[in-house]
Amino acid sequence: MDTKILEQAVQDLRSILRDGLIATDIWDRSAGLSLAGFNQQPVAVALFTRITDELDTSLRDSNFPPLARYYLLDMEGNHTVVLINHGNLLQGMLVDNKRANLGILISVAIPRMIEAVSRAKAAR
Amino acid sequence: MTARSVSWTDPRELRALLDRVTGDKPGQRQTAVRPMSTHTPARAPFPREARNAFPHVTAPAPAAGAAAIPAQPAPAKPAAPALAALPVIESDNPSDRLDALLLWTMDNHRCSGAFIADDNGLTLAAHGVSDAHVSIVGPLLSSLHGIRTVPGIDATSGALWLGAQMMSWVEVKTESGGFCMGILADEALHPRVLDRAKEALQLTVRGL
Repeated sequence: MDTKILEQAVQDLRSILRDGLIATDIWDRSAGLSLAGFNQQPVAVALFTRITDELDTSLRDSNFPPLARYYLLDMEGNHTVVLINHGNLLQGMLVDNKRANLGILISVAIPRMIEAVSRAKAAR
Repeated sequence: MTARSVSWTDPRELRALLDRVTGDKPGQRQTAVRPMSTHTPARAPFPREARNAFPHVTAPAPAAGAAAIPAQPAPAKPAAPALAALPVIESDNPSDRLDALLLWTMDNHRCSGAFIADDNGLTLAAHGVSDAHVSIVGPLLSSLHGIRTVPGIDATSGALWLGAQMMSWVEVKTESGGFCMGILADEALHPRVLDRAKEALQLTVRGL
């Protein structure tokens, strides 16, 4: 795992979403250890690890298709949480949906993050 | 996000229909509709045996001087529009790139609005267009999926009458998905202008 690539990906994300990005973390799913981020939120890391595990287990137990690339939560106060599933890594983003464009988020920012994290995982 | 299926479009049936229309004369395009022109085309002679079946029907005598009417010249083709130079987009930031493309589009086309959307109809950048108009892109591109399975049909640009305005659109595909640019105007853009818009979109979304 190359954490420099992760840090670079976070910088790239900040430049894409600008002031629409409130916080982001990329963390190890099993250890709960944050590897890169901006305005990092340890409580959110713990919370979304648990929510994602519950969601994943519930989907599988109900014979639903498993979680694929990401899910979104629309929250009070113009907040949107995006949780990206990078396999053994998870990434959370807290976005101000009045400042960030949903199309840019879904069609540009998320695919770029997925590609960058996959590159970081492959690097030694 | 949306399932790309058009249940009423059967590619094999479409292909068979196209083959039936074009199959007789390879290399020569035939159309089911006679082209419109200012003069009446020469009719095939009515067969004598068929004419004898209606003895009480007589053809009206041609008006005096009818033969003297000269054939109208074919209308001149409208001149191809001047094409704008491709936009110069220096920024690496996706939002800036898309905004620059939008600015170029608004500057170079007589239009009331323009937008760039992903292939699900989510707005990436827009000016003078409602989100509802942009969301048309999702079902529009989905409906073209079946049509594009027909060999030789590209269907990556076109125009759609929205009731009050015409939305001309172009689509390009990248590794991260499809992007569509729509331009709202009183009439459809010239095909060459659409091609140039497609080039500009391709240039902009490359590497997004």
